[in-house]
Amino acid sequence: MFAMIIRRMVQLVFLLIGITFIVFMAMHIAPGDPASIIGGPTATKTDIIQIRERLGLDRPIIIQYLDYLNGLLHGDLGISFQTNRSVAEEIWIRLPNTVNLAVASVIVSILIGIPLGIISALKRNSWLDVFSTTVSLGGISVPHFWLGAIFILIFAVHLKWLPVGGLHAPFWTPQGFKEIILPAITLGTGSAAMTARMTRSAMLEIIRADFVRTARAKGVKERAVIWVHCLRNAMIPVVTVIGLNFGGLLGGTIITEQVFAINGVGRLMIESISARDFPMVQGGVLLIATIFVVINLLVDIVYALIDPRINYD
Amino acid sequence: MSLDAAGQEIVKEMENQLNRNYFLKGIKVLFKQPLALVGFAIILIQIILAVGANWLTAYDPTAQDLSHVNLPIGSEHHWLGTDNYGRDMWSRLIYGARISLIIGFTSVSLGTIAGTILGLLAGYFRVLDGIIMRISDLMFAFPGILLALLIVAILGSSLVNVVIAISIWSVPSCARIVRGNVLTVKKQEYITAMRSLGAGHLRIIFKHILPNSLAPIIVFGAMHMATAILSTSSLSYLGLGADPATPEWGAMISNGQQYMWQAPHLVIIPGIAIALVVFAFNVVGDALRDVLDPNMNIDQL
Amino acid sequence: MKKSKKVLGLVLSVLFLIGLVLTGCSNQSSESSSGKSSGKLNTPQEITYASTSKVVGLSPIMTNDSVSANVITQIYETLFVKDPDTMEIKPNLAESYENPDPKTWVIHLKKDIKFTDGTPFNAEAVKYTFDKLRDPKTGAPRASLLAAVDTITVKDDYTVVIKTKQPYGPMLAALAHYNSSIVSPTADKKQDLMKKPVGTGPFMLKEWVAGDHITLVKNPNYWKGAPKLDKVTFKVVPDVNTAISMLQTGDVDFLDGIPAEQWSRVQGMAGVKTIKKTGTPVSYLGFNVRHKPFSELKFRQAIAYAIDRDAYVKQLNGLGTKSNSIIGPKVFGYDPSAEKVGYEYDPEKAKQILKENGWEGMTIHMLVANTPGYMKMGEIVQDQLKKVGLKVDMQTMEWGTFLDVSKQDKFDITFLGWSNSTADGSELLYPNLHSDNIGASNVTAYNNPEFDKLVNESRFTVDQKVRKEKLDEANKMAIKDAPWIVMNHGVVTLAYRDNVKGLNIDPTGEWSLYPVYKE
Repeated sequence: MFAMIIRRMVQLVFLLIGITFIVFMAMHIAPGDPASIIGGPTATKTDIIQIRERLGLDRPIIIQYLDYLNGLLHGDLGISFQTNRSVAEEIWIRLPNTVNLAVASVIVSILIGIPLGIISALKRNSWLDVFSTTVSLGGISVPHFWLGAIFILIFAVHLKWLPVGGLHAPFWTPQGFKEIILPAITLGTGSAAMTARMTRSAMLEIIRADFVRTARAKGVKERAVIWVHCLRNAMIPVVTVIGLNFGGLLGGTIITEQVFAINGVGRLMIESISARDFPMVQGGVLLIATIFVVINLLVDIVYALIDPRINYD
Repeated sequence: MSLDAAGQEIVKEMENQLNRNYFLKGIKVLFKQPLALVGFAIILIQIILAVGANWLTAYDPTAQDLSHVNLPIGSEHHWLGTDNYGRDMWSRLIYGARISLIIGFTSVSLGTIAGTILGLLAGYFRVLDGIIMRISDLMFAFPGILLALLIVAILGSSLVNVVIAISIWSVPSCARIVRGNVLTVKKQEYITAMRSLGAGHLRIIFKHILPNSLAPIIVFGAMHMATAILSTSSLSYLGLGADPATPEWGAMISNGQQYMWQAPHLVIIPGIAIALVVFAFNVVGDALRDVLDPNMNIDQL
Repeated sequence: MKKSKKVLGLVLSVLFLIGLVLTGCSNQSSESSSGKSSGKLNTPQEITYASTSKVVGLSPIMTNDSVSANVITQIYETLFVKDPDTMEIKPNLAESYENPDPKTWVIHLKKDIKFTDGTPFNAEAVKYTFDKLRDPKTGAPRASLLAAVDTITVKDDYTVVIKTKQPYGPMLAALAHYNSSIVSPTADKKQDLMKKPVGTGPFMLKEWVAGDHITLVKNPNYWKGAPKLDKVTFKVVPDVNTAISMLQTGDVDFLDGIPAEQWSRVQGMAGVKTIKKTGTPVSYLGFNVRHKPFSELKFRQAIAYAIDRDAYVKQLNGLGTKSNSIIGPKVFGYDPSAEKVGYEYDPEKAKQILKENGWEGMTIHMLVANTPGYMKMGEIVQDQLKKVGLKVDMQTMEWGTFLDVSKQDKFDITFLGWSNSTADGSELLYPNLHSDNIGASNVTAYNNPEFDKLVNESRFTVDQKVRKEKLDEANKMAIKDAPWIVMNHGVVTLAYRDNVKGLNIDPTGEWSLYPVYKE
């Protein structure tokens, strides 16, 4: 177990270096010059040459990359081309909002997904199963930006129950709670479907498992069978899906942040990609990738702890 | 080393039995599920619309008529109305059905073929496993839409590039699923038996492991059709998809969104179309998984 | 299986409870908001504005985008300003100026003005600012604004002398541009003005949450008297639909640059007022004259005849005016007679020209930036060209790529705009159509020595009457020669809650919050 963690950490370092290389090269190869974006359509040739020099883009690409790596090794993510601020600072300001949104939507997906999954599994092939499948798969099928726009129209503009957009407080505070409801539901419905389907199949599998049959045969009450034996064991794969969902959500927040005017990392990424703000894109991707990989690792560890059948060594 | 006659006979027999089982059972059970039937029906309708688009409308989906813009549903000559350039919505809807099928199908097939090959190689040959899986880890670490965004930013926004982006995006997950399956199948006794009977690697991979991995691949494909269609529309929303004249559903929504208050049908019609089709592929994929997943034996329940 | 029903009941009741909590909270919120609106006695002098992209930075020297400009113009001031109605250039931080000779500008400054950090505003500050803007090491995006300047000297505390290499006509327009706002030298040496701006303007920065919002507070010592507003918030709302919904709910007090598609929605909103003015921006279709047959006047004429610009402008719902003139009605150098020069819609004539020269059925590679305005032009023109028998291969690109590709030789026709923020015709014709700027802002690569000469004459004289004549002549020449087909001239818009008073917008799209208050 311990060896596994060490091994994975070492892999992580190489993985991240690989990512910096790919993103760095991709951004430099991509058409679009940061200097001409900063200069805008009004810029003259001299303007652009001067901006390129200021940004250090006139140096050979390998030198630029090595310079960047060197900075990374010293914990320096660089300075944004656009805003002149440190990349770490820019990300740090926005990260809480994104995590806030991601956590809240994971909660939404659990609140919707697990009950629907249990209902489906217990009432397999009944109309309830059909209903809950329809709801959960329906949720994943609607485009987020469409759902978000319609939510805003109904709940914020017409009913005036909730704010139109913005997120300025953690979701457990009254203000944050009001602000997060619509975005979290918009984003959470998608992963709710996955959680529901996973809960359902995990439950079904466990219900048929030998130890459950034994329990039933021994005359354990049905409710106890479901809650104690089935649900707990079924939660193992569900936890995995939730964990993976969370990692994925950090990237998936992009569109929701856009629609609901949430100042998050996802939106920063879109802006930075279109502004060709190389250091910002590299820093952001690095961060998201690190979080994703670390969560994966944590999921595996938790998995190994819960399920004694798994042995990584 | 060549197979002797008896060995060949046994291998063939095993192959036949193994392959037939899943599919027959699968199709039978699929039709017992009402939702899956609905899904199939929607997909079938979409295929009919897509194939028959030329005959089902008299209007060119890109022809503008600036004197008849934003006509509502139920207008004379345009039963689904017209958009902000006076283009016939019905015509755009059904040509859009064609586009979404083509995008979904090509990006899923490209992604799945590449993913399957990589997955098979990684699962079967231990030497390749490390490299392929590390690369797939690397790609996994990019959040999907961000990866697509980067690819489209590099290649430029066009439908072809969206297809490429979505295919690349689906490769690692497909590879992983296939690899996992290969690892399980490889350990099974009959594979070991065939190896000892002298079957070659390629034969085992393509005649035994691949067919046994088909179930998850098909499930993945169906589910991924849904993702592909949805992602295309998301990319269009971010302004990175089809060129705006193309009757692509996502582009239609992002174009129509600006008219949501005057002409809500511009958003509602393609929105419902996307939701229905994505739903259909999801439901069918889901049902297929129930049926084809070898871990779950339906007869027992 | 009976027991499972209870489980189900439990689950359902949990869901029900969640629902209750949700509705409970939302009830609370509606109560609190209604409570707010009843207490209308003393309106807080606070105002909120939303933009769809973020403010990049707050240094006038280092930025060149309209969103940052909106904030910068509240914090800093320029030596000269344009009158929002007449577009006449008047002294602001400057007291007066004179030209002892055509290459010399002696500018007398107003006295007793201080930057918000206490630094006095004087000739030293002006010299410092302009030298910094011009310094190649600074890498300023709008360094070209003062490219004509040779030396800047401090004559005394309140007199600056600017010497140009040649007589430079658009000097005052350049000095009235927000990129020439005067910054506090002490502050600039000490801190990054991008993050911590210091100017002489009516507002100062209080708080900045990058990417989310900026809060300005009033400068109580402002030299024209403190502004009425205590606090101004600039929010970022990337989705314009969301931003307009916020205007409707009152989360935002005013918006500018309303898209044409949303105009009727905004106009129909209760409690929302709008301002609409003919502006200086121009949008055009540009031919890449490096390519054949786009280099031929006949071909460009055929395309001009093929495009029904009236039908296009109608799609702008009043937020755009049709004009043949490249120099727009609000820009210096415009003469109404220019309208009669261009080519009017005549598809038959277009077909005939195409047929005579064997251009029928040709494929045109059209490059379009993927912002809604340009896509609209692209879509409509694509369809209209199809109708005269041309094939159009339309390629859309995100803005960043577009800026790069449009400067290369990779398209046949494209669409672009020019905001004309100096409102001076020379500053339109020189960057966009003069051969000096091929490979940069002159995307069509239009190269006409006669035209170049006229433009230069308009730039290298300070006699405004001569300038106007030369500009008009150059304008008409370019209209006839048609490297551009003007799609429309812009209309600038503001939409605001009806309790906001004193808001105005000038034709370049700039607005000042100094006279604004809330009722």
